Amino acid sequence: MKSLVFAIVAGMLASHALPAAAHHSGSQYDLTKRDMNWTGVVREFKAINPHTHIMLEVKDATGVHDITFEGQSMSNMYRAGWRPNSIKVGDTVTINAAPRKDGANGGFVLSITTTKGQKF
Amino acid sequence: MKLSGFRFLSRRLAAAAGSVVVAALCLGFGAATPAKAADTHPDFTGVWTFHPVPGRRFGAVWPKDAPYTDEAKKKIAAYHALVDPTGESPGGYCVGVGTPGNMLSSGGYPMEVIQRPEQITIIYEAWTEIRRIYIGGKPVARRDLIPTRNGYSRGHWEGNTLVVETTSLEEQVDQAAAHTENARIVERYTMSTDDKGKKHLNAVMTMTDPAFYTKPVTVTKEWDATSERMLNYNCNEPTWEDHVEMLSKKAAEKAKASGN
Repeated sequence: MKSLVFAIVAGMLASHALPAAAHHSGSQYDLTKRDMNWTGVVREFKAINPHTHIMLEVKDATGVHDITFEGQSMSNMYRAGWRPNSIKVGDTVTINAAPRKDGANGGFVLSITTTKGQKF
Repeated sequence: MKLSGFRFLSRRLAAAAGSVVVAALCLGFGAATPAKAADTHPDFTGVWTFHPVPGRRFGAVWPKDAPYTDEAKKKIAAYHALVDPTGESPGGYCVGVGTPGNMLSSGGYPMEVIQRPEQITIIYEAWTEIRRIYIGGKPVARRDLIPTRNGYSRGHWEGNTLVVETTSLEEQVDQAAAHTENARIVERYTMSTDDKGKKHLNAVMTMTDPAFYTKPVTVTKEWDATSERMLNYNCNEPTWEDHVEMLSKKAAEKAKASGN
């Protein structure tokens, strides 16, 4: 199994590897910042290439927010141990993400940790 | 008329010989590549993943200081000025890299090679790009070829080296190895086995394209044999599923508006 580090690096460095739904590239994220964590309930998870998409319902003092993230490719996540039943709608997960450069919520997923302790 | 023993035997022999010739032709023995030679050539069949090389992303990089012509610089700069601010790329639209970018990088994903004497098929996992390398037989006339991102590839063996020539490409400035439609790409593939018995596939790729490069550009690439399974590259499907979902919502709204 390839390491998660490989998955991240391969996913980000593939200059053509972009999300089908959003058609954006990794250039909109600040990959030098890697300490942002979000915990919430999975509202949607799209296991697709070139990048996965996940929508998280996050609660904070200002209310409930649906926040979208891009992640590594489905292929790289699979090789890092992810399986179709690993992340389901309704699961609570913690996402470590690189923030968006424009300051908006969301970011690029560096890792996803489930309540069962699985990390992808 | 009764045949003499000799004449009868001659005809039987001639008929038998004719049958052998017909059978041989049916089996493709008459093609440019002798059937026996196919058995003696290295078999590249299998799944291959890039061999890590320090400083080379996915085992190969297109040189940043490639000898671009002014025309190439102008077209490449115009493309990037247009597209880069959007953060978009062909891959975001599920469009493959194209040759030779796919053999040089392909996002670091593995590739599968399926070898037959008359054709070698390469499937790059990323974007499910497929290249078919035709060996022997009659080449398709250039006027009958439709230019594509992967072009038209013909191969032949020089000893244990598979030599692949690719032409009939589309002009592409949306991959690192930018080229015009007149580019000619020659790849030379060899296979080796290391001390541990692991197989390696090596390629030396040279692209000649006078309109874009003042001299041919050569890049090497190496793959390791892997037992890894090729995965389906799920890319276009969600776009279609989103579209159906949108149609479903519209239908529901229409039904609601009409009171049904």
